[in-house]
Amino acid sequence: MQWKTIFVKEMLEDWRNFKWIWVPLVFILIAIMDPLTTYYMPKILDAVGGLPDGTVFEIPDVSPVAAMMMSLSEMSMFGVVVIVAITMGVIAGERRSGVAELVLVKPVSYLTYITSKWAEKLVLVWISFIIGMFASWYYVNLLFGEISFSAFLQVLFFYGLWLSLVVTITIFFNTLFKVPGLVLFVTIATIIMMSIINQVFSHVLIWFPNNMSSHIGGMLDGNHVSGDLWGTAFVTIEVIILLIIASLFSFRGKEMAN
Amino acid sequence: MSVIKVNELTKTFDKKDVVKALNFELNPGKCVALLGPNGAGKTTTLRMLSGLLNPSRGSVTFEGMKENGDIREHIGYLPQYPVFHNWMSGKEFLIYVGQLANLPKKQASDQANSLLKRVGIADAGNRRIGKYSGGMKQRLGIAQAMIHKPNLIILDEPVSSLDPIGRREVLNLMEELKEQTTILFSTHILSDAEEVSDDLLLMHQGEIVESGSIESLRTKHQTAKINLTFGDSNDNYLSSLKSIPSVNESLIERNEIQLLVDDIDQARKDILLKVSQENLPLTKFEISRTSLEDLFMKVVKN
Amino acid sequence: MELLGIDLAIIAPLLIIEAILAIVAIIAWFKTDETNGPKWLWLLLIIFISIIGPILFFIIGRRQN
Repeated sequence: MQWKTIFVKEMLEDWRNFKWIWVPLVFILIAIMDPLTTYYMPKILDAVGGLPDGTVFEIPDVSPVAAMMMSLSEMSMFGVVVIVAITMGVIAGERRSGVAELVLVKPVSYLTYITSKWAEKLVLVWISFIIGMFASWYYVNLLFGEISFSAFLQVLFFYGLWLSLVVTITIFFNTLFKVPGLVLFVTIATIIMMSIINQVFSHVLIWFPNNMSSHIGGMLDGNHVSGDLWGTAFVTIEVIILLIIASLFSFRGKEMAN
Repeated sequence: MSVIKVNELTKTFDKKDVVKALNFELNPGKCVALLGPNGAGKTTTLRMLSGLLNPSRGSVTFEGMKENGDIREHIGYLPQYPVFHNWMSGKEFLIYVGQLANLPKKQASDQANSLLKRVGIADAGNRRIGKYSGGMKQRLGIAQAMIHKPNLIILDEPVSSLDPIGRREVLNLMEELKEQTTILFSTHILSDAEEVSDDLLLMHQGEIVESGSIESLRTKHQTAKINLTFGDSNDNYLSSLKSIPSVNESLIERNEIQLLVDDIDQARKDILLKVSQENLPLTKFEISRTSLEDLFMKVVKN
Repeated sequence: MELLGIDLAIIAPLLIIEAILAIVAIIAWFKTDETNGPKWLWLLLIIFISIIGPILFFIIGRRQN
């Protein structure tokens, strides 16, 4: 009941401040930008006059799988930044402004407060991501060649898990700090650190969450979901649950009046 | 029978006791002022009572509360500077916090309408809170504290940030509300406390230094007082007047020497004798009685 | 229709999305009471810097609580 109240209020807030419009639009742009420019690059170069006479136009030698992976790679940069930016203030901002005082002086449990906000942001992120990837899938099929619908759904599911982890990390830092800018900075720094760790130790930490997209690439190439992809998904879900618990404890330790 | 019982309530920040072992009870239907200068620990105390801060020691219990119950169900709280979601309308916000206090939506909505009327902002109910004036926000703040009909409402400096008109309106509103619920409010202004409250808790440096009904405190501290003024600096004569045995206490206030005494006749005789013996340039001699303000000033100055 | 050898039907959605973003940002700009930094500057950013301008306005331009 209280959970739904906060969830609905967050939905309404994101509607009134236009997040429900601009975030899906931006996700479409992020998803289709790279495949489109890659496809048209030779023509654009030619139009600008960069290519010598006699150059023959060719559809660039990019496989459909590579094109879809381009969308994911843009997601892992700009998509992640947008997600962190729209999540950085959900709790921190309310604590900083003081609204949290009026909310938490009502008999609302911290778990309700944190998870309802977390869930609403997940819904926003998932829907935006799915819309964006549908646009990407459409263009990839049109310009580069076919990717089956079932493979596409698997991409959505597994990469969506990784984005859910990004939301959860941001929520966790929301309970630690009450300056949204600081939440943004620390979250991005953490994700960069994770990706460095992933690059250095990827041969040992095969199921590390940041490995998700490379396993997805493998899945698209080989046409089946590998055990490692499942393993990574499992680890990611575990980390999400642990972070929610950690958020609860971190929030409990805070005194609302500070 | 008390609404709330506070036992050895203590808050320590950085090894310093900001609130020191408070003990008090509030009786139902009373309006109680927590009076004290800035920095006395009033806000910290109220935040512990409302469940926003955890006490370092001691306990707060409500009448009829279950073991390990949530004290927040029984209180409504208005912080000193209430902040709302500016993008919501006043009515939406009331319904929102009403539902957070476990009211079903329909009931929260009815309650929101009646409270908006009660606090006098029914016309602005559908307007964005961002457009509200300070007085309107304060009234919305009181409404949100009342939404779940709590046994106790706690108001932190409800009138101190308002202009004279807003302040009058809120004081009148509190006057009405105390018919229905118990109110505890903090203030650093004695006249506000005297105006609406039945009982007084006088707080200074983290301690309750005096408490009781306004009437009983008035009587208790109504000691005789002699005010003196001299032709030149009063400081020169204070020490010699202090030495008179019938004078209990002395202080300088607004260019006057004030002497607190028990036996007026004896003291008058002693003082005038001293004045004539030492040929002091006395220009004014006045007998009066101490007020609550004197009590307040005395507490604050020590 | 083609422009520079690019099929307009293919990139039309891109342009439409850009336009919607800018329009929504302008509506939000009108409705915002307070911005971080001068308000008129944000309008210029929204109109003249496509995509990035509106996004920046949505994320850091508005002051809200």
